[in-house]
Amino acid sequence: MEAQFKNPHALMLRYGLLSILAFIVVCPLAWLALASLRPQSEIFQPVSEFGWSTFFPSRLTFDNYRALWASDFPLAVKNSTFVAVTTVIFGIVVNALAGFAFAAFDFRGKNLLFLLVIASFMMPFEAIVLPLYVMIRAFGWANSYQALIVPEIANGMVIFLFRQFFASIPRDFYEAARVDGASWLYIFTRIAMPLSWPTIATSGLMLFLSQWDSFFWPVVAASNPDYAVVQVAIARNINFEQSDWGGLFASTNLAILLGTIPFLLVQRFYVRTLISGGIK
Amino acid sequence: MMSSRWTPFLFLAPALAGLLIFRLVPIGVAVGGSLTGVSLMGDLRFVGAENFEYLLTDPQFWSSLKITLFFNVIINPLQLAVAFALAMLVFRPLPGLWLYRTLLVLPMAVSTGISAVLFGLFLDGNLGPLNGFLEWIGVGAQPFHRGQDQALYTLIGIATWKGAGYWMLFLLAGLYSIPSTVYEAATIDGASAWQRFRYVTLPLMRKPMAFVLVADTAINFLFFAPVYILTSGGPGGATSLLMFEAYRSAFTFSDIGRSLAISTILLGIILVIVVLEFRLLRSPEERA
Repeated sequence: MEAQFKNPHALMLRYGLLSILAFIVVCPLAWLALASLRPQSEIFQPVSEFGWSTFFPSRLTFDNYRALWASDFPLAVKNSTFVAVTTVIFGIVVNALAGFAFAAFDFRGKNLLFLLVIASFMMPFEAIVLPLYVMIRAFGWANSYQALIVPEIANGMVIFLFRQFFASIPRDFYEAARVDGASWLYIFTRIAMPLSWPTIATSGLMLFLSQWDSFFWPVVAASNPDYAVVQVAIARNINFEQSDWGGLFASTNLAILLGTIPFLLVQRFYVRTLISGGIK
Repeated sequence: MMSSRWTPFLFLAPALAGLLIFRLVPIGVAVGGSLTGVSLMGDLRFVGAENFEYLLTDPQFWSSLKITLFFNVIINPLQLAVAFALAMLVFRPLPGLWLYRTLLVLPMAVSTGISAVLFGLFLDGNLGPLNGFLEWIGVGAQPFHRGQDQALYTLIGIATWKGAGYWMLFLLAGLYSIPSTVYEAATIDGASAWQRFRYVTLPLMRKPMAFVLVADTAINFLFFAPVYILTSGGPGGATSLLMFEAYRSAFTFSDIGRSLAISTILLGIILVIVVLEFRLLRSPEERA
């Protein structure tokens, strides 16, 4: 291994392959970011003759972004933000409570219930979208914020992560607080939760990404433009014959930034927790 | 632990109610609904296995099933192989490696629907740069998702762009869990780099690889957003994957029974996959 590491050819090969792969990942993203800064008149021009101008606009302008203000995009951002933030807040509280129960208590049916939790995150949500839609329609929730938020709050993976964290705190710790007369709710809110901030950060990002990534459910449950989240609003714009390509470039690029920036901020915790959760 | 018998259940109640109502009950609704039909008057009636019998005689269903199986036979090994190659490349330390790692996992944060839109624009003949590039190097413009022969492979490519970095993380964790002494022993025994890979790394990576393959398969059987956004099942039915067929049954043809029958079949497939996953992960003592 050492020899391989020091071999300059192997090193060059590794850098070369990594650079090609990173280029494949970044190229479409970078192209879109630059294309969104193009003047409307240049949108089609650069493709006919391939060269620098295919990627680099002759001048940079925020016109496409400014025009977005007048479109349906701000409403979609508002819907997405409201749905994601609400899901994150309720999701953290509800799933942390359950994770705490699995870690701190022994009770009848614990193993069976925990099995349900694990099974729930092994089954991708898409599998039940259509029957869930039938239910939601019966509740009278079709095209509402509830439809987008409530089914996404309880999350088996997040329960699992909180359980793992709370189980790493010795039970003596909880029991000492009990002896001092603390209620379980006090122990949960004042002792357990403040200690668990890395898990809170990871779970928050996970719940955010689950909303951010979901497409099938919002298309089915809330297709009305008043409740359309970002991904649905943008998908609608690429499907309809339209001429505002600049607007589509700008809104798509914004949607990418809205997802990647929080990800980059928390990715260290996120990646670590995801891996240990997924494998164990 | 001294506490009321009910305390744990109070802590559990909101989350378990959510999982029960929004994860477990829909499975029952799918199975129940697949046994009903909507009459012309609009009311539900029990039709037994009629929806399934109808599906089995429907060439559209068979074609969707075939496409879905073919799609999975290609995409899952491909994503596993790409993810494994990525994990090998970013495993050992290297100056600047953090940057490559960050870039390779970045598509995780691009939502599936948005990545479909991104490639819809990137691959477009009039708007995107790729066809211009292909003409420039003399290959010529390609139809990609608009071509009957290329559409399914284009979707596979987009999904791999989006997913490979995510699956890489699990394999990377697996690589880290192999003790370095195993490699040292192999080196002392005179094993070449290829032999170490073939006889040490690969056998010890069986479990994380199996996990990724199984979990990825569960997701890809339910592949939907790029089909909906880019191809609507076409051209010529080339990308009518089962999940899209189930969606179209309900929302284009208003046939909820057929839609839920397809959902039930997919749930059956997912159930088998989840059981497999459980068996893989049952013994945490074994090296993951």
